[in-house]
Amino acid sequence: MLIERHGQTVYEKLNAATIGIAGLGGLGSNVAVALVRAGIGKLVIADFDVVEPSNLNRQNYFPDQLGEDKVKATTENLKKINPYIEIEGISVKLNPENVPTVFKACPIVAECFDVATEKKMLIETILTETKKTIVVAASGLAGLGKSNEIKTKKISDRLIMVGDSENGIEKGLSLMACRVIIAAGHQANAIVEMLIENF
Amino acid sequence: MTVLRINGEDKHFEILPATLANLLDLMKVDAATVVAEIDGQIIKKDDFDSAKLSASQKIELIRLVGGG
Repeated sequence: MLIERHGQTVYEKLNAATIGIAGLGGLGSNVAVALVRAGIGKLVIADFDVVEPSNLNRQNYFPDQLGEDKVKATTENLKKINPYIEIEGISVKLNPENVPTVFKACPIVAECFDVATEKKMLIETILTETKKTIVVAASGLAGLGKSNEIKTKKISDRLIMVGDSENGIEKGLSLMACRVIIAAGHQANAIVEMLIENF
Repeated sequence: MTVLRINGEDKHFEILPATLANLLDLMKVDAATVVAEIDGQIIKKDDFDSAKLSASQKIELIRLVGGG
């Protein structure tokens, strides 16, 4: 079905890819869905959290998954979309020591954390502790409207930034599905574009 | 006057800040939530104090805000 839609070459490039997702909240759970639907062959997903009621306004989970480990819940949901997707799920709190090992097999990692200092940790760790891994990070996706202010910006060969770089939860803005999903879509789109054009 | 190219724009300084940490202080940027590159080289948080600046360097400061 995907060969028919994308053509053999694109299908093969996406199906051969292994992509990392760091954090399975509003960004990560939605980036994962977009990548699986696009036809990515393997995902390495990492999070330490469980599904909570406050997640359901924007994260790709369901009420019957409350209390469930996010890695487990995401795996279930992605397998429903594509039973053949290969998923390596790692329930761990990511830190500078384990990030290079967890995402060893991934040429591209999506940074999908909530907290700004954690975002910084992941970007710095990937760029300094791995040789080639590309990180697609997001910053500035809280609040409402201003859809077109969310941009994809190439900072360097190994760092892509998504977001408006301004509107964070620090300003008291809430996180809503609409804007979070726009940013997640930007991240997934940047990843798919790189896979098709550069690899 | 000394020039640093910060996020693609020339910024003029009467006295060049000695280190990246000094520059961030001057610009009132929170070091805990910024990713910094000098001439394409990423500088880790622990090295902000020791990263010396010199004229004409290209500096990228990527401010991170919360939400995900």
